[in-house]
Amino acid sequence: MSELSPADFYLPGEIIRNLKSKDREVIIGPGLCRNESDTKSLIASQAGYLCFRAPNTYWLEGRRNRYIPKKADLVLGIVTKKSSDNLKVDIGSAESASLSMLAFEGATKKVKPDVNVGDVIYAKVINAHKEMEPELVCIDQYYKAGKLGVLSNEGFVINLKQKLIQQMLNPENPLLRTLGRKFPYEIVIGVNGKVWMRANQCKDVLTLCRAFQIAEYQKETDIIGICRQFK
Amino acid sequence: MEVIESFENNLNLKCKLQVLSRADGSAMFSEGQTVVLSAIYGPVEVKMQKLLIEKASVESVFKPKSGLPGVSDRYKEYLIKNICETALASALYPRTAVLVNLQEMQNQGQLISCAINAVCLACLDSGIDMKFLFGAVSYFLTKEEELTLTPPINESSVKAMFVFVFNNTKGDVIASHTEGRFSIDQYKTALDICRDEVKKVFIFFKETLLDT
Repeated sequence: MSELSPADFYLPGEIIRNLKSKDREVIIGPGLCRNESDTKSLIASQAGYLCFRAPNTYWLEGRRNRYIPKKADLVLGIVTKKSSDNLKVDIGSAESASLSMLAFEGATKKVKPDVNVGDVIYAKVINAHKEMEPELVCIDQYYKAGKLGVLSNEGFVINLKQKLIQQMLNPENPLLRTLGRKFPYEIVIGVNGKVWMRANQCKDVLTLCRAFQIAEYQKETDIIGICRQFK
Repeated sequence: MEVIESFENNLNLKCKLQVLSRADGSAMFSEGQTVVLSAIYGPVEVKMQKLLIEKASVESVFKPKSGLPGVSDRYKEYLIKNICETALASALYPRTAVLVNLQEMQNQGQLISCAINAVCLACLDSGIDMKFLFGAVSYFLTKEEELTLTPPINESSVKAMFVFVFNNTKGDVIASHTEGRFSIDQYKTALDICRDEVKKVFIFFKETLLDT
């Protein structure tokens, strides 16, 4: 992240020129939209740094607080409503997501999973069109649960900023590893900002919460620096 | 989270982002002695009667420093709601709501322009998609027919007040508000000066976001 320079910083409405992609074909990610009047350029729609990945993907790395569901995202949700064959899950988006009772491993019309209102669920977003309510599943394409499903009631859920979530999901980030050296814990990170964790002692969970809340307001380079001191 | 200040221009702008922990975006913005706190929540779940099929609906609430909101506060809500509806890329979030909350902290005459700028910074802080930025500048005409950017200390010496809101793409006027009596020439002069001045506001926005 150190290569971000103020020259690559854009504000909404600013035009981005000099695209260096092949064949003038551009894949745009969050924070960008097409310029209707000049097809060779893009318009920023958020404040952030322009990032590029070869051969032709562009996106803006900025602040994003409210979760907008995207297909294939792994999210953490809380069941808010239960009917005979559908669950309503709060995943932090504008509309609560729907999760079919049949979308669990081994579930049939007669054998339904044991899910109750208030349970925490780790699921995958399978349908996220802006005109429709997001749809979740707890199985993969082979009908296996894998890591998805209902999480234990012994865990603890907190909300974190999207920026920190992205950093923690980066396998090179040392934050989780450094904490893991101090005490064992289990953690489930949803890209919607919700994080579930469990440790042997209540004290350790509180340490985790405190560490993440402090890390929310630190720069990534500072976090790495602090983690190095504990090596 | 240090306060970002700008002494380069005579608008004397100051700003602090992320002042509220639970809002998606928040900003404390001050122009001279006028201070406004703003917060954005969105896109969130929408009430049935305010649901729009093709875009997000914007709701704004303006809280005065003391007492109950009156007619003039409703007017400010309406103005800010209209600006947000044009500036936000609301077609990206159909069937949702965007809530804009404003709290007046101090008023020294530039309340409307300060509120509009605070909303823009809160929008930038929340990371909601926008078509363009908007920035507002107030301009005052005193009883001595003098045009000035800084508000006169005595409110009774103000003959007219102009507020212009511009976008950052082409510098077009997207909203304007005037109070008092003035001539067409004075209006045109005010518009030209505000159009120059708003560039400094946009530079300030950029500096603020780069630093935090």
